[in-house]
Amino acid sequence: MGDTTFYDLVRGPLLRFALFIFFAGISYRFFRVVFLGLPPDYAKPKGNPYYMAVKKIVIKPTMGWTFNEIFSRRAVNFIGGFLFHLGFLGLTFFVPAHALLWREITGLPIPTIPNLLGDILAYAALGSLLALTIHRMLNPVLKLLTGKDEYFANFLIGAILFTGLLATKWAGGGFYVWILSTHMLLADLLIIYIPFSRLSHFVYYFLSVGFMGWNAGKRGVSF
Amino acid sequence: MESLYHIYRRRGYTRRDFLKSVLLLSAVLGFPPTSFGQAVKALELKPKPVVIWLEFQDCAGCTESFIRSTSILPSDVLLDYISLEYHETLMSPSGFYAEEAKREAIEKYKGKYILIVEGSVSPRNKGVYCTVSGKSNVELLKEAAQNAGLVIAVGSCASWGGIPHAEPNPTGAVPVSQILGDRQVVNIPGCPPISDVMVAVIAGFVITGKPPELDSMGRPKTFYGQTIHDRCYRRPFYNAGKLAGSFDDESARKGYCLYKLGCKGPITRNACATIRWNGGLSFPIQSGHPCFGCSEPNFWDRGFIYSPLSVVEGGFGWKGILAGVATGVALGAASAAINKKFREK
Ligand code: SF4
Ligand code: SF4
Repeated sequence: MGDTTFYDLVRGPLLRFALFIFFAGISYRFFRVVFLGLPPDYAKPKGNPYYMAVKKIVIKPTMGWTFNEIFSRRAVNFIGGFLFHLGFLGLTFFVPAHALLWREITGLPIPTIPNLLGDILAYAALGSLLALTIHRMLNPVLKLLTGKDEYFANFLIGAILFTGLLATKWAGGGFYVWILSTHMLLADLLIIYIPFSRLSHFVYYFLSVGFMGWNAGKRGVSF
Repeated sequence: MESLYHIYRRRGYTRRDFLKSVLLLSAVLGFPPTSFGQAVKALELKPKPVVIWLEFQDCAGCTESFIRSTSILPSDVLLDYISLEYHETLMSPSGFYAEEAKREAIEKYKGKYILIVEGSVSPRNKGVYCTVSGKSNVELLKEAAQNAGLVIAVGSCASWGGIPHAEPNPTGAVPVSQILGDRQVVNIPGCPPISDVMVAVIAGFVITGKPPELDSMGRPKTFYGQTIHDRCYRRPFYNAGKLAGSFDDESARKGYCLYKLGCKGPITRNACATIRWNGGLSFPIQSGHPCFGCSEPNFWDRGFIYSPLSVVEGGFGWKGILAGVATGVALGAASAAINKKFREK
């Protein structure tokens, strides 16, 4: 198979297939639960459930932000996790090549970031991913919680970041198209993999945190 | 028969002019400096190449490009040098006499002549869609290729099927290599290919007696080893994320990269960015138009000339999203229903 044939495959039919599986998978898992329904609750809500749901989503990431918590005990987790999420999501949606893709898919006027910012995000994401992975392997508690799923996901994302960087930073000799195609193939795999792995927290995080907030609001308790 | 050097002298050029051309040719072909002497000797002594040029499903654009090669050999020398024994567009005889001339040339220069094919081949319905003097194109191709010293497919049509091969391909067009099976074919794709590349491949064959080194798709590595993007002078803008937003905005005038306007340079192998066109004057990207990948297989069917490379080919859009979500909801409902049944039991 020539490199352009492969390129056309990963950016055409395979990408469309991956996106279809992504949307189908994410909504399948969500609606499977929704359709099961909740047991009827006849109590009158004591607080404001919707407000609390939104509030929880917005402030949850900052809830543990005390100096002690961050720097004395969970520095790698907090700082690494923050940098990684910022970098990875920023790159995924706002690097020009990606923004153009999402524009085409969603029709929304997604803004693009300058390359310098893209570079900073990419190195931040890759570095923190590495740190987080090593931390996982060394920290006894995290090690217990970690399965093949996490390592695979970390590896996949790391490879995507790395090939993406290669494609923009390296002239590539005669291999530019292969590098670009590998980057896109891995991204296709990731898109398919997300709904069926813990990476689905990328969507469900907001739903579950929102649900917790909603529950708290209903009972009139604070977080 | 005359050699290249003789033609130079007969046309009133100096030896210095001749040496300059050979030097340029060696550079274009990527020969090491040590083989310059060998190249000079070969072009001084070896007779000019005999070429039989067949045209099938083509537009004669490759021919037009070929005769305008000006960087390596002056055009009067070029037209004298390549001994075109048969070329439907350029030769003066026609009908019976033309076919006779071809037959004679094939016999006389058996195993030595270069066969150049322009245009795709159409084997469908016994080749009825493209015939010359009552013979089908497939038959004509096989006949001429059998005794050729080298077969060159010029242009994207002969190399990949090109525009005749585009959906729905009514004539069943195929590339030359598909008809000739095991026989080696040098593909020089492009719509049209760069003239200097065609001339250099022919002259290179005269010098070395061998076809050039080819990649897995039969293209000379020297000219198709890298993408346009690899050698594009706008690459620094690409790397800096400076992309022109439209054909005539401020950023386009500043010469920013044409990625957003649909440039296919990153996936297109050709020598436009190095050898350029019209005697090295310019090339499409230099004149402000994105590369649309004319030298790559199926470039026409990609059908997204002005959309950026990174968009999903064939589109996805809200319809795709809705289709995915609807499938997910249906599956979710089904599984919830099954679960409920189990629970009730
Ligand atoms: S104009 Fe095209 S070939 Fe040149 S750098 Fe931009 S994308 Fe690459
Ligand atoms: S710049 Fe691209 S489209 Fe234009 S002639 Fe060269 S390969 Fe073909």
